[in-house]
Formats: sequence, structure tokens, C-alpha cells
Amino acid sequence: MLRIAHLIDDQSPGGVTRYLDFIAHTPGMAKLARHMIVPVPRTHPASVRFEADLIVSHLAVSWRGLPGLITLRARHAGTPMVHVEHSYSEGFTAANVPARARFHTLLRCAYALFDRVVAVSQAQGDWLTRRGLVRPETLAVIRPSVDMSEFRALPAPEGRLHNFGAIGRFDRQKGFDVMIRAFRDLPGNDLRLTLYGDGPERARLEELASGDVRIRFAGFAPDPVRAVAQCDVMLMPSRWEPYGIAAAEARAARRPLLVSGVDGLADHVEMGAIRVPDLSVEGWTAAMAQIAGTQMPTSLPARRIEEQQTISGWRQLLAEIHAGGDVIALPQT
Amino acid sequence: MPHLISSTAPRVSIVVPAYNAAETLAETLGSLLAQTFQDFELLVIDDGSSDRTPAIARSFGDRRLRLIQQPNRGLAGARNSGIHHARGEYIGFCDADDLWRPEKLAAHVRHLETRPNVGISFSGSELIDSESQATGLAQRPRLTGITAAHVFKRNPIGNGSAPVIRRAALDAIAFRPAQETARDWWFDESFRQSEDIECWLRMMLTTDWEIEGLRGLLTRYRVAPGGLSAGITRQFAFWERMVEKLTPLAPEFFARETPVARAYQNRYLARRAVSAGNGAEAVNRMRASLACSKRPLLEEPVKTVTTLGATLVLAMAGPAAINRALALVGRRSA
Repeated sequence: MLRIAHLIDDQSPGGVTRYLDFIAHTPGMAKLARHMIVPVPRTHPASVRFEADLIVSHLAVSWRGLPGLITLRARHAGTPMVHVEHSYSEGFTAANVPARARFHTLLRCAYALFDRVVAVSQAQGDWLTRRGLVRPETLAVIRPSVDMSEFRALPAPEGRLHNFGAIGRFDRQKGFDVMIRAFRDLPGNDLRLTLYGDGPERARLEELASGDVRIRFAGFAPDPVRAVAQCDVMLMPSRWEPYGIAAAEARAARRPLLVSGVDGLADHVEMGAIRVPDLSVEGWTAAMAQIAGTQMPTSLPARRIEEQQTISGWRQLLAEIHAGGDVIALPQT
Repeated sequence: MPHLISSTAPRVSIVVPAYNAAETLAETLGSLLAQTFQDFELLVIDDGSSDRTPAIARSFGDRRLRLIQQPNRGLAGARNSGIHHARGEYIGFCDADDLWRPEKLAAHVRHLETRPNVGISFSGSELIDSESQATGLAQRPRLTGITAAHVFKRNPIGNGSAPVIRRAALDAIAFRPAQETARDWWFDESFRQSEDIECWLRMMLTTDWEIEGLRGLLTRYRVAPGGLSAGITRQFAFWERMVEKLTPLAPEFFARETPVARAYQNRYLARRAVSAGNGAEAVNRMRASLACSKRPLLEEPVKTVTTLGATLVLAMAGPAAINRALALVGRRSA
């Protein structure tokens, strides 16, 4: 059977780790190949020995890591290599990269080492081609997934929508500062905002929330299903978000979902999330005011089993690599 | 669909916002129709003028010129209406009292063609007086390697008649406020000053489109003699509102850059106060500038010191002494 080595350099809890868990343990994925999760040092991925028919990098590209990627390519010269871009997006670049041309050069150099590059959202894929970072024929779009059956099993919120919730790392990426300010300007004594998570911004967010008893910090949520179960409306005001699995989970749980619409969140808007026009305090207050206290809509967008789309995305990619002449054994489907 | 790009659509749309511009509009339109690059449409947005502005636009009888009339919405609203109706892949802006050099559009089209990551292409400007004569002053901004911090501190684009912008870059920052039902906004129409810088900075902070300039003074930018110092407080208030509005997008960026940018903004307003002959205001602004940050002294010592000097001359010797001195200042360091 086809052996795929998935290289990772970051095992902290978060979207990537949970996606890798899905890849390794979902029957639909196991039918495609034998998936090995291989932790590697970020700057020396070739230092770990493994045998595989296909290498999939889930690594974060950086200038420091580039020599290591070149060594990896050289050591496995005959093995097709795929890179999944979990980290970078247009919003990331806008928020973090003053010297854009240099950054684009890094990405172009790194991606050129791979046979295929996988975008985690259509919006990210459009960006990669628009900026000439990836040749269109080598790009594939496969949205990540996790097992969302428990989210689908949750009952839809009942009665007036008044419990707002946000789940994620307390990092400026997530835009929770704007959300807290916006919520504070929202009238309504029975409204609640609960933040599930932890991270470097914790003290600052607590400071922003202090004095408003309606805002609660629930700490890191090891079980996101339970966290979502306690919320009526989910909020994702991210400054950048290559995809945003948490948005897919909120949709699976039939929670109304407000998003900033950057990067991959645009994909979720097409699948039913509500886009807040700009990342301003007024904009978010207005959007929350519009939904606060309303009843759950009776007609909801049809739910799809998004895990299946992830699996078929990988099936198609493997078939294309095979058809391209690379000697990889294809599973019987 | 107004912005569907079909094979019959012109390559470029030039948007001319015009409000009571009867005195200068004909010369402006003449300079645009005389461009060496000819594949464009010219959208004149009559923003509720009460003078002969619409009649002058109609009198040209050029098939490429379209007059769009609307009740007054302000400069940002007029530009937005222009963008809404524009069919070109690139959109140039020229205020109804400014002029373009004949080769300007050709240069920007070539630039945008060869540099696919550039969203805004601009150039320096020659300053002209009410008789369209060169004043000897010019805007010669930084052209390459432009970051959000450069835009915030020094706004290299300089004036509203300098940029030619890729449609795709504008659409990346389009939004529609709740009260707006008719069309998107690109410029924020709630701003009556600082609407340019708000738009450019928002693009830099939320997209990865680049801003890059071309050599040469391809725009002829008209400066009214004297000018009103009464508007300075209002202008500064809108600038502060812009900072307040955009800060949530990038709090660290603004925490780091705002003191210096505020110093530059105060220095700019001091220069305006000097040319308006308002010594007290100029002194206040230069004081405020130095209180915010000393970085303008380090980064642009000549311009900062001459502004200080002009402020002192004005405060002590009065407006008559300043005119000659100001011209010298501008010639050396603008």
C-alpha cells in the first residue's frame, strides 16, 4: 500500500495537529494510503530517516528552514513531494510582512522544491496563483477537516440567541480584542460573551474585558464540542486565517457564525457564515446587535459532510500524481 | 453589471470628481484627452455642482467621456461612484483642477503590466498655480520599497491625481456599510479629509498589494495661493479619526508608528499654516510635532529645520517676509 510520510514541526494543540489526527485515523483516509506522522526539526527535516512513496510537508516555510527543505528534496530525489500551506495567506502577509517582495521570493523558492502545493482554502489558492507563487497546474485546493460528527449531533440553539462564543488561541491573529470592544458597546444585560482559549494576549484581553461582567474567560477548551454546545452564536473576527477549521465546526453545529471574511473565511461565507464588512469595533457591534436576541432561523443551509470533501480531495491529488508518471501505488477505490 | 470587463471595455477608466469646477475643468479634461495612451474612458462625476461644471463636461463631445451626476456626496463619494461605473482594468484619478502630463497614463499602464504585484502606481507631481504656471515646487516622494509605515508617515502618493490603481486591488478593500444600499464603498465617505490616506493605509494593512512609484513629475498639481488656515484643525481631527478607525486592524503597528506619524502630520499642518500666513497656528503645530516625536528631525533634518525656521520668521517678522523664504524652502526640500 502507498506509504505517505506527513512531516510536521509543530505539535501544539491547534488546527494542524487535529487535521493530522484526522488524516491518520479516519477510515476514509486509511483507504487511500498508510499515513505516517513524522515529527521533524523545523530547520533539519531531512535529519529524520523514514521510507515513504510520497512525502507531504506540513512544515512552516521560513528563510532559516529553506536549506533544510533543499536537503530534504535532495535526499528524497526520486520521491514525489507535496507541500500543504497551513501558515501563509494574503491576510498574514498584510499583517506581518513589511517587505513583501522578499517574502514572495521565499515562498516561490520553497514551493519550487515540491511537485504539488496544496492550498487549504479556495481564497488562499487564489492568492497563491494571483501572486505567481505557485504555477496553477501544480496547485490543488483541499480544505482540511476533522471528525465533525459530534458537532453535527449537537442540538441547534433554541430560543433567543444570547450566548456569544469564541474559540481559539489568544493571539492578535484572532482579532478577539476587536470583538471584546465591540461586545462592550452592545446593550443587553442578558447577553454573554465567552472566550475559550489561552495564549500570549490573555492579560491584554482580560484588561479589555474588565468591568463588563457579561464577558467570561473559560480557559483552554480541550473538548471544543462542549464549548460550542454552550454557545448560540460563534464569532471569528480573525485578522488572517488560511482556512479556519473552527468555522467549519461552528457551521456543522448549526451555530450562526460571524466572520471577518479574510482569507479562508471567505470560503466559509460561501457556505453560510455571515461576513462582517470590516474589522472595526462599530462594524462588529452592529453585526452582533443584528443577531442578538433574535430567534434561530428555521430554514438553515443544507449541511454537507465536509470530511468527505477532504478525503476526495486527497484521492484526486494522489490520482493526479500517479497519472503524472510518478511511481506511486494507487489504492483501489 | 458596471464592472464587468468585456472585450469592448476600455483598458483604463479615468475618474474625475468635479464639484463646482467650472474654472479649471476644461483644462483638466483637455490634458486627459491628450494622453498618448488612448484606450480609456473618462468618467466625470458631477458631485452636485451649482455652476457650469456639467455643461462644460458635455461640451467636449468626445465619445470616451461620460458625465455622471449625483447629489453632493463629497470627494470620496464622487470617487466611489466613478469606481462603481468604471469598466477598465486600471482606474486613474484626476481631480478637476489638476493636469496630467501627456505620457502619464502610458507610463502607469506599462508599470502595472510589468509589475503584477503592484496595486497602486503613482508618480511625483509638479506644483502649479492658478494660472497653471509651475511654482518651482514639486512633490518628489519615495518610489520603491514602500511599507505601511511609509504610507502612514509621509503618504508618498502625495495627492489625489497621482495614482492609477488596479481594479483588483480596489475590489480587495471594497465594503458596504449597513446604511448603504446602492453600491460598494472603496473610499470611506464618512471622511471629508484624509480619505486618501485612509484608503491607501487600509489597503496596505489588509491586503498584500504593493504601492510603487514611477520617476518623473507626471502630475501637475494645483495649489491654491494662501489657502485657509481655518481648515487645519478640522484636517487634523479627520487624521486622528483615521488613526482611531484603523487601529483595530493592526494595534501593534499603530502603537509603534503613530507618535512619529503624528509628528509628521503636525509638521505638514505647520507648513500649511505658514503658507496661510497664520503664525500662531504654525507655532502651535511645530510645538505639537516636536512633542510627539523628534524622529522627523533625524529622518528629514533639512525639511524639519526649514519648517521650524519659516515658522519662527513668520511669527516674528510677519507674512510678508515668509513668501520668499517659503519658496526657497520648498525648492530645496519638497
